[in-house]
Amino acid sequence: MIASFESFLLGVGFKARFPIKKPAHTLSTLTLNSSRHGTRESPREKNMNYDSKPVPESNGSQPLFLVNRLSGVRLKQKEGKIFLILPFQDKKEPPTYWAQIETELKYRLNNGERFWRSGATVNLVARNRLLDGRQLQNIARSLEGVNLKLKCVSTSRRQTAVAAATAGFDVEHDRAARSLEITAEESKESTEPLYLRNTIRSGTEVRHSGSIILLGDLNPGAVVIAAGDIIIWGSLRGVAHAGANGNREARIMALKMQPTQLRIADLVARAPEKSPEQIEPEIAYIAPVGIRLHLASNFAKVHTFSKQARAWIDN
Amino acid sequence: MTRIITITSGKGGVGKTTIVANLGTALARLGKKVALIDADFGLRNLDLLLGLENRVVYTILEVIAGECSIEKALVKDKRQPGLALLPAAQNRNKEAVSPEQVKEIVSKITPNFDYLIVDCPAGIELGFRNAIAAAKEAIIVTTPEMAAVRDADRVIGLLEAEGIKKISLIVNRLRAEMVQLDKMISVEDIIDLLVIPLIGIVPDDERVIVSTNRGEPIVLEDRPSLPGMALRNIARRLEGEEVPFLDLMASYDNLFTRLRRLFKKT
Repeated sequence: MIASFESFLLGVGFKARFPIKKPAHTLSTLTLNSSRHGTRESPREKNMNYDSKPVPESNGSQPLFLVNRLSGVRLKQKEGKIFLILPFQDKKEPPTYWAQIETELKYRLNNGERFWRSGATVNLVARNRLLDGRQLQNIARSLEGVNLKLKCVSTSRRQTAVAAATAGFDVEHDRAARSLEITAEESKESTEPLYLRNTIRSGTEVRHSGSIILLGDLNPGAVVIAAGDIIIWGSLRGVAHAGANGNREARIMALKMQPTQLRIADLVARAPEKSPEQIEPEIAYIAPVGIRLHLASNFAKVHTFSKQARAWIDN
Repeated sequence: MTRIITITSGKGGVGKTTIVANLGTALARLGKKVALIDADFGLRNLDLLLGLENRVVYTILEVIAGECSIEKALVKDKRQPGLALLPAAQNRNKEAVSPEQVKEIVSKITPNFDYLIVDCPAGIELGFRNAIAAAKEAIIVTTPEMAAVRDADRVIGLLEAEGIKKISLIVNRLRAEMVQLDKMISVEDIIDLLVIPLIGIVPDDERVIVSTNRGEPIVLEDRPSLPGMALRNIARRLEGEEVPFLDLMASYDNLFTRLRRLFKKT
């Protein structure tokens, strides 16, 4: 599903290129491949059925098919406790997936928002994931690096429970009951924004099922994909994909808009060949004719989202 | 406290090994005890650049296998008493060693030296992970080319993920006259993208090639050339000294180029 959507996006990028001039009141010029007409005719779009798909933010129970699966590791605070939640183990997942989870965990711990106090304890929600003692120790070590202490492991797998007990952690072994309960909450909570305070460098891909706020640059070769909005307090030089699950209302904003590519919902836009002379904070949004840029300072004053046009329109 | 520094770049051919050889020599000139570790297994050439090829008897592989002691494998430099080299194996590939083994070796050498400088292979596979396994800090080498800068950015991301926070930048092979004419990415543009502190700029110079071919590090010249000077300055900056950057533009900064830049800007 994911692969097909990605190739669908790329297909749009390469097949349908309609360079359109920007409105005169915007400062920089962005050449666009407004893919709207192209996708309308494409049979795949019908299969994807965007028209009937509700906007994820307005309906949290809708499965997030692009972003949710890989945005696995989550760290959150609930009722004074800190939970580290690992993604469900899929039978089909490659064995290298664990390394990816570990990298993601380190990334989140070092660059995400530090809402905890030093020395706080963490409950690991391992769900149905099979973990051995070494993997648990690695998690504990990563947590120690940011002054957190792994205390309790809750799991639905017996082997994981045994490994955790052997490694000296408290164990909550629930045959699926607890892990299901968290899933039910998840759809609401997953729309919490992800807050990152660093430069996202080439080769890094950040996916999140809510909005993404980045205090730093998005460098060329890096990708951020969000189901909601993307807000970059820095330079946007890489690829940003907002509203990745089909939310056409999503916007991308950056202090310095110099993207390799912008994607909102099912549309793709390329960056112009020439960069503008003067750079000001800008917002990328879906206009009836495709992705457009507008000065951030007065965007809200002159635009409203039209449900009928499924785009932002000038007032 | 021994400083363990990995010199890395991501992209190949940007001058990592040359910089390791020269930086090591320059630090040894300042009276430091320096060990250079060639982590480029299978494609070793640090010994060549130092002119020590004919003195290599054992390599890091024999040390790992326990066939010889580290003291035996370390090749003493013929010119600098404080400099030693731990050569890489030529006959094996990069998979022959694991990051844990490298860590163990490094921890054994550490007490006897002020600096351990690791020459990292190109790429970001196992060889790279071996080279950064024990490092506490890193120096990124890049050239003013888009591909090199992009790879450098990727590598910085990987280093940060590994918890190596102290990362500085060397811009190698800068051609001032091309920057002057806006034909090459400037150092400012590189720093703007990579956002790490700059520790040195080394100009492009054919004398560097001559010195590597002869196996005589360029920093050892009696009257150092511009690149030799730049590399010596990097060593001094590593030592904590405040050294101003060389004015590489000086010889190209005349009225004509100034006027041209002025008109470019407006």
